[in-house]
Amino acid sequence: MSEFNEKLLLPNIPDLHKIEVYEQNNGYSGLRKAIGMTADAVIDEVKKSNLKGRGGAGFPTGLKWSFMPKQSAKPKYLCANGDEGEPGTFKDRQIFGFNPHLFIEGSLIAAYAMGIKAVYVYIRGEYVKWIKILQQAIDEAYSKNYIGKNILGSQFSTDVYIVRGAGAYICGEESSLMNSIEGERGYPRVKPPFPAQVGLWGCPTTINNIETLANVPLIILRGAEWYSQIGVPKHPGTLLFGVSGHVKKPGVYELPTGSLLTDIIFKHAGGVRDDKKIKAVIPGGSSTKWILGGELDGVKMDADSLKAYDTSIGTGGVIVMDEDTDVIKVLARLTHFYHHESCGQCTPCREGCGWMEKILNRFIAGEARIEDVDLLLNVANNIEGNTVCALGDAAAWPVQSVIKKFRGEFEKRVKKISSEKKYVPPPHLISV
Amino acid sequence: MVKITIDEKQFEVENNLTIIQAARQNGIHIPHFCWHPKLSVSGNCRVCLVEVEKMPKLVIACATQVTDGMIIQTNSGRVVKARNAVLEFILINHPLDCPICDEAGECKLQDYAYKYSVGESRFEFDKVRKPKRVELGPNVMLDTERCIMCSRCIRFCDEIVNKPQLVFTQRGDHVELTTFQGQKLDNDYSMNVIDLCPVGALTSKDFRFKARVWDMSATDSVCVGCSRGCNTKMWVRNNEILRLTPRFNSSVNQYWMCDHGRLNSFKNVNAANRVNAPMFRKDGMLIDVGWDEAMARATSELKSFKKNEIAAFGSAHSTNEDNYLLAKLMNHMGVHRIDFVPHIEDAKQDSLLIKADKTPNSTGARLVGIKSDTDEYSYRAIIDDIRNGKIKALYVLDDDIAVVPEIAEVLPKLEFLVIHASNENQTMKYADVVFASSTYAEKHGTFTNFEGRVQKNKPAVSTLEHDRVLDGMPLSRLDRFGAHNDRWTKGIKRDTRASWRIINSIAAILGAKWKYNKCEDVFNEIASTNSSFYGLTYENIGVTGAMIQKSQEQVTVRS
Repeated sequence: MSEFNEKLLLPNIPDLHKIEVYEQNNGYSGLRKAIGMTADAVIDEVKKSNLKGRGGAGFPTGLKWSFMPKQSAKPKYLCANGDEGEPGTFKDRQIFGFNPHLFIEGSLIAAYAMGIKAVYVYIRGEYVKWIKILQQAIDEAYSKNYIGKNILGSQFSTDVYIVRGAGAYICGEESSLMNSIEGERGYPRVKPPFPAQVGLWGCPTTINNIETLANVPLIILRGAEWYSQIGVPKHPGTLLFGVSGHVKKPGVYELPTGSLLTDIIFKHAGGVRDDKKIKAVIPGGSSTKWILGGELDGVKMDADSLKAYDTSIGTGGVIVMDEDTDVIKVLARLTHFYHHESCGQCTPCREGCGWMEKILNRFIAGEARIEDVDLLLNVANNIEGNTVCALGDAAAWPVQSVIKKFRGEFEKRVKKISSEKKYVPPPHLISV
Repeated sequence: MVKITIDEKQFEVENNLTIIQAARQNGIHIPHFCWHPKLSVSGNCRVCLVEVEKMPKLVIACATQVTDGMIIQTNSGRVVKARNAVLEFILINHPLDCPICDEAGECKLQDYAYKYSVGESRFEFDKVRKPKRVELGPNVMLDTERCIMCSRCIRFCDEIVNKPQLVFTQRGDHVELTTFQGQKLDNDYSMNVIDLCPVGALTSKDFRFKARVWDMSATDSVCVGCSRGCNTKMWVRNNEILRLTPRFNSSVNQYWMCDHGRLNSFKNVNAANRVNAPMFRKDGMLIDVGWDEAMARATSELKSFKKNEIAAFGSAHSTNEDNYLLAKLMNHMGVHRIDFVPHIEDAKQDSLLIKADKTPNSTGARLVGIKSDTDEYSYRAIIDDIRNGKIKALYVLDDDIAVVPEIAEVLPKLEFLVIHASNENQTMKYADVVFASSTYAEKHGTFTNFEGRVQKNKPAVSTLEHDRVLDGMPLSRLDRFGAHNDRWTKGIKRDTRASWRIINSIAAILGAKWKYNKCEDVFNEIASTNSSFYGLTYENIGVTGAMIQKSQEQVTVRS
């Protein structure tokens, strides 16, 4: 499986973002083929391919599509999630930049399969450049009747709209994303009901990641059978690994699932800057749990393999930290992010993230006490699992993980006198 | 129906309920801040986390539907731990200013902190600072730091009043409640957010800093601001009403009341312009006299007129009992010109609670006999006959009829005017005898609302007529345990009487054979002699009222 080195999502074809070039390279053939199939057959094909969502949770895409009601009095919607707010994650913008039509084609196939008449592409507002490229591509696709009324002469019609985010991490969470599209405050919704029943404007809705949808045309065109054999069977396909941190060649590398983490870092990303040792790696975006430098040998980058290391593939955003890294500072910076981005709707995340940051800053200032290590861990544990959305967990996991793997570093940072410094009540309060 | 188990006890409940609803129906309290029975579920406070067998995570009881065979733990180790954690989180940025907070004593957070939290905080940093003393609107103040972001107030404005005026801004622990740009929280029901607020973030501009809640007694009462008859609690300290709050009644007002009723239907009780003693006119001046003197003057004067020279105005502000006895007195005197003056404001009504009829008892007044069978005897005809001199003496139950200009114009023509009044008013200028009557807050009685619901009203403020302890009135901590040197135990007790009791005495002087000791007796007589009230007793009206027998159209009050 590791011999597979074809680039499916980001092939090295110049000007692929132009529709003529895309068409010359089999572009929109997947859509054409899908329209010749029944909607159910398209969903079955995606189910058979075993495609898993690329946004972090890894939910089976075909199964998600099958949750959409076949008959619905209300319109149905597809939201393509390009908010890409997780630190260390920058893969979707490569698709927008280099292969936007592949994503558009995937969205159209998805819309066809689920009977959807409107696709909303939610993109983080900072991606001005990529939004322009995608809009250009959408306009071209309209002009060639890949989008719009009676697509390719069929009965199938759909529209594609771009919605720009206004700068909130929470809006990458699917239910907040829907609220944001509706013009509401970016607050996650309580589930159930799930979006397939009550989604955008109360209508059945599916939310897919950009990269997930970009895989769809290839599955339809070349078959589920072919696709399911790429990478590891339970999590097939290629992933866009966004490698950042202390590597010589940071960037996005498309590799099959199950690739060795060491290969990604050393073969593709050029190894560690100044050839230092690796202290730790975050495998899938900032909310995934850390892997120690010493544990890297043999780590394979797919959902199941990473579970064995008590972490997850997340968004495939690999962050490499060398031996000189101050992990507590890194953790404090990440926690600052989660504190800053907590939407504030539910109690544990709203209050807990700020508290964690304050404790971490005390470590950095050298003012922490030995009890603060467990206090910090306990605050993280109290957030995890008790929040409306998964982003509470996302804030807790890095803290739990770093304390577990680097407890010694925390203990070293404790204020020296703290263990002797006991509370002594003022004389007038001491009872005789 | 589904079978569920909560804390080892089995229940059969409807299957469309959430866990918190099912538990509540069966008397099990699951702590909650953001959930409210009449608002949508927001699921944000996380205090109602419970453990459900076979579910990996704790779930929020407010948003999780019951299913058959569900086994729920509301006090397992995991639940207690999570609840403690959530309470600790809520408290880290919450000011610990209970000693100066109006909510203290009726604060959900304070109660839960005592009941469920570990009792100490591990948080040693500066709390997040936010704006204090924010004027959200004419009646509501916000302390943003106390807000726990439960969103009840926002949902109330959005969902119940249909006036979205409140919103959260900012993110995370910097979230702030505020009004929409350029707006104020000024809807007609804005003060309900004060009751909904589980903490002291939203307080009443009218009431704040007036009293600790445990120093007041709370008496079940009925709002007299309009014909809806919202159920209320009347909060009294030192024999003075300090605030009204709505009392739940699913058939009348749910959990709500309007700001107008809340602010304007009690202030007259303690006002400086109370009529504290009976008065009669001597040498052109109204002077304070004793009850016996006033009664003697009134009865002797009334006797000097012919029956058809006398008319009476009952009052839709007064109780069924007051009006019934007035009608009975007039009947005894052979007077047939009796009606009441309606107070309708068509421009001031809505589809939620507020009714155009600004009196609490038009329906009841008519049913107990304050009405004319023909237009010839209606209140307009009475006014006309005063103007043309046919009617020379007028008896007016508690109603400031002179606020109606056409009535004020004819009143000087009367030779004799006797009124019941609780406060100095316009009509007094023309009165010859004034009986100092008790307000609705000082007497027993019943009102019949616009749809025919009879509701009981109890005294919250004591007059010389009753004793708080002996007469079973609600007591505050101070009423119960206050010593003479305590500051709030020396309230004023006025020498006023309930109107039905005043009429009772007059009737006796005029030779009537009837006498009532209790308001209850009057009502029970109404119920046994008036088919509309058939089947009701003072007892069985209960705390939420009971419907009369009349069909809807028969009780419709003319406008």
